[in-house]
This record gives sequence, C-alpha cells and structure tokens, in this order.
Amino acid sequence: MSTASEEDADDASVIRRSRQEPEAFALVFRRYAPDIKRYVIRRLGADAAEDVVAETFLAAFRQRDRYDLSRPNARPWLYGIATNLMGRHVRTEVRQLRVLERMGTDPVMEPFTERSDERISAGASGRALASALAALPRGHRDALLLVAWGDLSYAEAAQALDVRVGTVRSRINRARQKLRRHLGATDPVIYVSEEPVHE
Amino acid sequence: MNEMTELERFRSDVPELDLTDVRAEEHRLLSVMRDAAPDAGRPTGQRVPGRPRRAMRLRIGLAAGLGVAAAAAGAIAVNAGGEPASPPVVHTMPVASVQVLKRAADNAAKSPELHPRPGQFLVFDSRTMDTVESNSGGRHERYLDRQERKIWLPVDGDATHGVLQSRTLEPKPYPGWPIPAVARQNVGRSSMSKAADFDDRAEHLRSDYAYLSRLPTDPAKMYEHLYTGLGTGPGADATAWQNVGGMLTEAYMPRAQRAALFRAAAAIHGVTTVGRAVDAAGRTGVAVTLDPAGSGVREEYIFDEKTYEFLGRRSVVTNAGQAEAPVGSVLTNSAQLKVSIAERPPAVE
Repeated sequence: MSTASEEDADDASVIRRSRQEPEAFALVFRRYAPDIKRYVIRRLGADAAEDVVAETFLAAFRQRDRYDLSRPNARPWLYGIATNLMGRHVRTEVRQLRVLERMGTDPVMEPFTERSDERISAGASGRALASALAALPRGHRDALLLVAWGDLSYAEAAQALDVRVGTVRSRINRARQKLRRHLGATDPVIYVSEEPVHE
Repeated sequence: MNEMTELERFRSDVPELDLTDVRAEEHRLLSVMRDAAPDAGRPTGQRVPGRPRRAMRLRIGLAAGLGVAAAAAGAIAVNAGGEPASPPVVHTMPVASVQVLKRAADNAAKSPELHPRPGQFLVFDSRTMDTVESNSGGRHERYLDRQERKIWLPVDGDATHGVLQSRTLEPKPYPGWPIPAVARQNVGRSSMSKAADFDDRAEHLRSDYAYLSRLPTDPAKMYEHLYTGLGTGPGADATAWQNVGGMLTEAYMPRAQRAALFRAAAAIHGVTTVGRAVDAAGRTGVAVTLDPAGSGVREEYIFDEKTYEFLGRRSVVTNAGQAEAPVGSVLTNSAQLKVSIAERPPAVE
C-alpha cells in the first residue's frame, strides 16, 4: 500500500498521519530501525540491542502525539529515546568496556568475529579508548557517541538529549580531551563511572 | 591519527544492518500498532467494550516481548487482539526463603493505607546520597552528593508531569577521594523543576499508582511480573531485584500488591538478609540484598525491624577491587521519609 509520495514524505508528515492511521508509523520504523540497531549494538552488544530497539519504537509510537511537527527529521527524537532507554544498561556498557580494557578482547564484537585472535587485534588504542569511554560521565559519553557513531550534528544531539547546544559542545570537548589523554597514556588509569541512578 | 578518527574506527566492524536484521523488533511494534488501529484488521467480536486500552496493550506487549523465544521453541506466542498464549519462558516462583520479606508482606496489611484518586499526586519526601563523577578543569573528581527531595508524581501516568523540589545537603567524600569544591557550590540551595524531561520506561517498569494498583495480588503472578521480558539465571535475578527497588522507591501501591511484591521478592534466587543497616536519615533497620557477581556492589533494601515498613535502600561495596573502594563502604543511600497525597504539584515555570 506504499506509494511513491508516501516514501518521499518527511518524517513529520508521516508521524502526523500516523496519529489517525497508526499503521503509517511502520514507515518511521523502516527508515531508522536498522541504523539505530547498529548504534545500540556498538554501545551495548547484540544481546541488549533487540530489546532497546523494540522499546525505542514502542515508546516513540506511544509518544507520537507529542512529536514536534515543526521538526521534519525524526532522527534526533528517535536517538534521544534510544539513548534514554540505554541508560538502563549503563552497567552492561561499562562492564564490557572494562573487559576490553583489561583483557584486550571485546565482548561486543564477539558475535561478529570468527576467530578469537581477531578480537585481540583491538590492540592498545582499542583498550585505551575503552578505558576512556568507560570513565566518561554518562551524559558525556551519550553526547560524544551520538555525534561520532550516530552521525548527529551538535544541534541534533542537543535535541536528542534535550539540553542546550553549548552543553553538547562542552561535553564533547571534555570527552575528547579525556580520549586524547588515554590514547596518549601507556598505562590507562582505571575509574569506575557507574552511577546508581536514584529516580 | 586523532581521537575522533580512532573512535570512528572503534567497533566499526559491527556490520551495517538492513530490515531483515530488525524483524523481531518490527514484529513487536506491529502487534502494538495493530491494537491501536481502529478495528483495522481485527477479527470482529474481539474488542471488549469498557476494558482499559492500556491493560490490553500491556498484555500484548508481554506476549510480543517473548516472541523470539516462542518462535525458537516452535510455539505461537501472539494472536493479535486476543488473549496471548502461555509464555514459553515460564517463571515458576520457588518457595520463598527470606523471613524479613515475608514479615514485610504480613505487616503490609496492618499499615495505614492511602487512597489516592486519579488526577491527584503522590508526594514522596526522601533523603538521598548518590555518587557523582565530574570532570572540571581537566581533573577527575568524585564525591557523594546528598539531597533532600520532595517529588510530586501523578497518580496515573508518567513522571514528566511530576515536580521535583530538592535541596542540596553537605556532601560526603567518596572513600579515598577529597571532596572537590564543585560539590559544595549548591549546598543549602533549593530548586524546583519538572520531575523528568523523559519517561520512556517500558510499560512493565511503570511505577505510577494507577499502574501498580492493577498488578496481580497473587505472589506467583507478581513474581512473573518481576521477570517480565527476562530470561533465567543470575543476570535475570539481579534485574528482577532491581525491579523490586523501582516499585518501592518513590512509588506507592495498594497493600494487596505490596504484600504480593514482598512475597515475590523473597523468592528471587540469591536474595538474603544481611542484618542491620542504617538508611540515609540515620534510621536503623534490617536489610535484604542480592549480591550480583561482577559489580562489587550489592543493593540493599532496608526495612523497619518492628513494623517491616520499607525505610530506604543503599549500595554497599562487597569487592574492593571492582568497586575501587573499601569493602563495606556505602556508596549510595536513601531514606523514604513520608508519603502523602496532594491535589496538585507546585507550579514550575
């Protein structure tokens, strides 16, 4: 039942239509789900990704009435919801980064590499990056990775995280400094950055 | 090579995906969408008039969440719009073993009961201590932030309509770290804000009164609820235990559900009583906990020794190497001081 004009419509018009015709929302899913899933896998691994992605689109679908129709592109909105849901998996994310840092093998990459010695080839820079990412405060890691892996602009990352652009800029600057320091250091310092969230 | 290039290469071997890689997720979305569609594609006679939509969506969500395991087992989990078939991952509640939680369940019947109405707000007064990590001026800093909180949460619906008033108290040092100047910046100051900008919790993790009061009062069914979407094993048990905390912290439910929750929690594998513990307000109680392997920190829920009322929670270091703090250090702590009802929250601009 999809037509050429439907495929061309911007996200906001698709979402507007889905308020009357819920099944129209499937197009939003088709446009973004593969990218978002890859992003979530890169951060949390394949195991957690399925739930996070399914819940992201369920949450988006339920909130479609509140979508700001002046924003033609739904990408920041969806990455924002996914980021928020990934917050429940901070411990998993940090734990896997720590494993990579300490053992040199990346649990996230395990399903994608055939031989275990390929995983080890992460090498010193991979371990240093893992160490730096694990040590970042969550908000800094979110901003940095939305830009680096999610391909969002600073303004889009600000929309996704519901913070000001200046906040995104300063978080990313600090995060980059930390990455540089860890990449420069031979002996990465170990931090714990898991913050139990009190809601 | 600069750090952004390194970062772009990091885990870039995760392959690009297409729609065939997100079939399970699409299936879950479609079953919810189908339910939302005005009778489209629905066999006639399936819609039960007067049944709340939300409950309907929830049941379908649960069944759909288990869709993948069902397919693997060769069973059909969802018949859209109707009753879900029995889930393939069956969580049968084992015999409960934790006396403190059983007594808490027995005592739930005796405590005075609040009866909030739709449209009203539940107000929770609490004191909290949480770990904070910060980077300022290139220095990595860590401390324990203490707050006095008062939160107004709608009786029905998500936290974005709630209001949070908080006052910063004198911070405490993270074990082995000096208190940074930034930690004291807001001491004594109060702030009033929206309780949340987002509330994207999955349906089964909702903790508003309206939702909690619809949960089963049968402990075995409550046990299943705690394991919604979870498999089996230590990881599932740890998450189920976290789910218990989510239903106790700044949340209130009718006593029948509360009693069922305590009995169900007592049956979670690995839960034990750890003895006396002090909450964030200095009240001593008895703590129950589950110590998940690998984190070095255990999450305790504290109950009054006489009334078995829930007092608060705390996290305690069990492995100095993993937590980077001495064993026995308390890293987070909270005390739930009062629960009351209000017609509306204070205005926030």
